[in-house]
Amino acid sequence: MAAHEILAATNAVVTLDVALPGTVWPWLVTVNMWAKSIGTGVIFMLMLLLKKYPEKAENLRFPTTVVAIIFIHIFLLFTLADLHQPFRMWHIFFYPHLTSAITVGAWMATAFVGLLFLLAFLSFVKKDNASFDKVLPWVVALAIPVTLYTAGLMSQCTARELWQMPTESAQMIFAALLSGSAFMILVFGSKLGWEANRSLSNILALSAFMAFTLYMSEYVFGPMKAEEVAAVLEYIKGDGPYTVMFWLGQWIAYLLPMLLIALSRASKSESLLKLAAILALVGLFLVKHVWLMIPQLLPMS
Amino acid sequence: MQLGFLVDLHLCMGCKGCEIACKVENEVPLSTWRLRVKYVDVGTFPETKRTFTPLRCNHCENAPCERICPVSALHYIENGIVNIDKERCIGCAGCVMACPYGAIYIDPQTQTADKCTYCAHRVASSMMPACVVACPVQANIFGDLDDPKSNISKYIMDNQGGVQVRKPEKGTNPHHYYVGGGNVNLNPLASHRVDGYSLFNKITTLPVGGHH
Repeated sequence: MAAHEILAATNAVVTLDVALPGTVWPWLVTVNMWAKSIGTGVIFMLMLLLKKYPEKAENLRFPTTVVAIIFIHIFLLFTLADLHQPFRMWHIFFYPHLTSAITVGAWMATAFVGLLFLLAFLSFVKKDNASFDKVLPWVVALAIPVTLYTAGLMSQCTARELWQMPTESAQMIFAALLSGSAFMILVFGSKLGWEANRSLSNILALSAFMAFTLYMSEYVFGPMKAEEVAAVLEYIKGDGPYTVMFWLGQWIAYLLPMLLIALSRASKSESLLKLAAILALVGLFLVKHVWLMIPQLLPMS
Repeated sequence: MQLGFLVDLHLCMGCKGCEIACKVENEVPLSTWRLRVKYVDVGTFPETKRTFTPLRCNHCENAPCERICPVSALHYIENGIVNIDKERCIGCAGCVMACPYGAIYIDPQTQTADKCTYCAHRVASSMMPACVVACPVQANIFGDLDDPKSNISKYIMDNQGGVQVRKPEKGTNPHHYYVGGGNVNLNPLASHRVDGYSLFNKITTLPVGGHH
């Protein structure tokens, strides 16, 4: 560990202490963030497609809503699975503590699920596209804080200085844009035509570029701000335990998709776009997992 | 009333009496600790010394654990203690992540968060916390910080300039003080923590709450 406070003169070594707690928020929380990104991201993309390519996206209202419902429920299921007392989940609604991002997030996610079911009702049962299109902007508006609240939760973790609200908020939004566009290309791309696919791939490439830039900025400049950040980033540098996973994530989620999208421009290849989309979705999981794990490795006491 | 704790590290001899008293008083399960004494060895042989630092919940005025708890299981009581209601806790472990001092754990028996409460149940009966009673050298000083005549207030007055808290830069305003501490005692990043090396065992990490 690079704890720059340690001096050769003091040569201080912990010789007796209790074992440190293992990972507090495990891979279940990674799935939580990953599934939430897709669940909110596809709603962002549906709104965009209905505005820019209404005739191509005409039949996407119900299927996209179903995808959002499935992934938001994966997010909720894994959130529940991560609780040590899952049958007390109802306490969040009956004993709410509104300074907690967990409470606010749970309430917003519940409202979001309700609105998604309303969209499904309007598109599948009532077949009322006009009402669907009126409700959709509200769902998009709510999807933004729903995807952001995990950033708030991470920022409430005092002394895990790697997680700062401004950066994490941006990363959550980029993750939603990246995974939403990737999922739409992958599942509905063949129905959308080249122009719509190109728009989606632009979003994918730009969000990948911005997210990659943020990670690299943290990587280079983070250690200059706080000793905790410097110590945490050592876990993804050199022979750190998460170095390989970090760089695999960066390549698979961001660099390779950007390259594939650039290549697809020349050939107008939807196959390359689909490959970029698969890589982005897989890589995002790795990236999120590394960023969730490394601050938890730091001894707090 | 604002209860607080002060540990005079000049006096502490690392006997771990406080640790054991706490375990017994609060029936703290195996593999978890509300209070523990950390040993840090400083220097290079033969110029070495061993430091002892009791570590427990800091009962912060601006407690991150209280703020992040979604169901108010962690809450302040009138005497300033940050208490926990285990019946209400949902086990999200947000408090474990939010505490900058690593003072909160998931009880493997109840699967809820737990931590030092300054023995709130004993304090309510006008008794001192178990660790204070057990300390053979009176290194633990406990009392009302709002009362200038209390032992803790007098100690702080007498040692002005030498009273420290852990991680003051986090803005948590701990109500747990140290006299005679140094960077190696109070800053976890100021000492090496070599994996697989401690005096009595090679266990470096334990699963949170007994699973995951």
